[in-house]
Amino acid sequence: MSMAPLLQLEDVTFGYDSEPVLRDVNLQIHDRDFLAIIGPNGGGKTTLLRLILGLESPWAGRVRWAGGGIPRIGYVPQFSTFDRNFPLRLRETVLMGRIGHGGWLRRRNRADGEAVDRVLADLGLAPLADQPIADLSGGQLQRALIARAMVCEPEILFLDEPTASVDAETRGALSNLLAELNRNIPVVVVTHDVTAMAVHVKQIACVNRRLFYHGSGQLSHSQLEEAYGCPVELIAHGVPHRLLHAHDECEHG
Amino acid sequence: MVCRIDCCTPMTSANMAELALFFSYEFTLLALAAGLLASVLGGVLGTFVVVKRLVFIAGGISHAAFAGLGFFYWLGFDPLIGAVLVAVAAALFLGLFSEGQARSQDAMIGVLWAGGMAVGVLFIHLTPGYAPNLMTYLFGDILTVAPRDVVLLAVLAVVTLALLAVLHRGLIAVAFDETFARVQGVPVRALTLLLLVLVALAVILLIQVVGIVLLLALFTLPPMIALMLINRSFALVLLVAVLVGMLMTTGGIAASWTLDLPTGPAIVLTGIVFGSLIWAGKAVSRGKNS
Repeated sequence: MSMAPLLQLEDVTFGYDSEPVLRDVNLQIHDRDFLAIIGPNGGGKTTLLRLILGLESPWAGRVRWAGGGIPRIGYVPQFSTFDRNFPLRLRETVLMGRIGHGGWLRRRNRADGEAVDRVLADLGLAPLADQPIADLSGGQLQRALIARAMVCEPEILFLDEPTASVDAETRGALSNLLAELNRNIPVVVVTHDVTAMAVHVKQIACVNRRLFYHGSGQLSHSQLEEAYGCPVELIAHGVPHRLLHAHDECEHG
Repeated sequence: MVCRIDCCTPMTSANMAELALFFSYEFTLLALAAGLLASVLGGVLGTFVVVKRLVFIAGGISHAAFAGLGFFYWLGFDPLIGAVLVAVAAALFLGLFSEGQARSQDAMIGVLWAGGMAVGVLFIHLTPGYAPNLMTYLFGDILTVAPRDVVLLAVLAVVTLALLAVLHRGLIAVAFDETFARVQGVPVRALTLLLLVLVALAVILLIQVVGIVLLLALFTLPPMIALMLINRSFALVLLVAVLVGMLMTTGGIAASWTLDLPTGPAIVLTGIVFGSLIWAGKAVSRGKNS
């Protein structure tokens, strides 16, 4: 863990109108991190992700990647950000993940096809490759989006609320899949439902205007309460952390 | 005897004669060509407009363009140039205005929509002498389409198809999932603006074919029908939308020719009847399956 971080946010402040949504945020992401970004709705989780992805520029502070430029990023959006009935086969959807590989103007080539085949096989999606995405279940579509993110051979994987639109069984499978991907690259999950990921998450950042980072130690009750601005219940999960119990009052706060 | 032969002349030969007559006039052939080219533009650009939910941006652009049309008419210049200038300006304005400001963009479309029409009507009113027929601009008259309009439609259709051939990966990625495309380094904003400018140019040329009020039909009905039929391939949706548009325009022109109806409404209603039949057919087949 003494290595230089892959990503470093230094005193980042950002907002959309006159008020900052995030203030003086500091965060480091290292090679094998499995980071959950949690916090109440409207607290700035998605904004933080947009800053990291380079979709917004900070008012103040810096977002710094190791090596200078933005690396290949795997990104899994929320279902609500695209049209589930869009006329595409699963295979074509995954192929879109290759668009950043060698420039978006390039024609697709054989390497693209092989990369897609590999990822489809790895994620158990090969039998569904010719299905239109409109016919996929929530869990299948979620895996398809992860396949689309992984097909560019990313150096880091981001997921925005990956458990929001899938059932409990799928959540467990998803969590295991992410742990497996985490053997090779850091995984960052933005979620209001950290319990679904609990077993595998290694670090927690709690975002509510400011960022409260919880590394390998324990996130104290008072830190969480400060972040959420209301009492929260912590449950012990054994190794290696204490985690946040689903908490309805905070969701509406 | 003569009377009997007359009365019993088979319908087909009467129709054949009418058809031959149709193809013997230059203006009907121009109308047909304009309809087919308009279908290419409406089908291709309209599909992007429908899936990206830009229908009312297209509406706003077309109505705003009327301001430029009226103003240039009053100046004594070619109204088409005024319309193009204002339409492209409106497209760029709405495109740049859009980011993260959905509500104000919605209202701004309304302002451009009504303001454009107000300015256009005002200048046409102020122009001395013979006033152009407002009804033609509003509801179109494909049978009066000029050779120049057909050439312009053809040029724009070729340009649009060429750009689609080169940029299709980026354009489809933007249409499907803008944020993902941006993360992958696709210039989402530039492609969206390009799309809006093409829509603006198409809108201007389509004013002649179906008029300002009805042109949205050529952008929405063929893609909607194609999306009802196809769910596996965006390219196929584009192709089917173009073909549906061609059925709509030729069917509308035929109906207008044989039943003596105004062509703009005939084209639009042909599309609506066609879409309703397909929708009903799908509903029935779904009912049988379940």
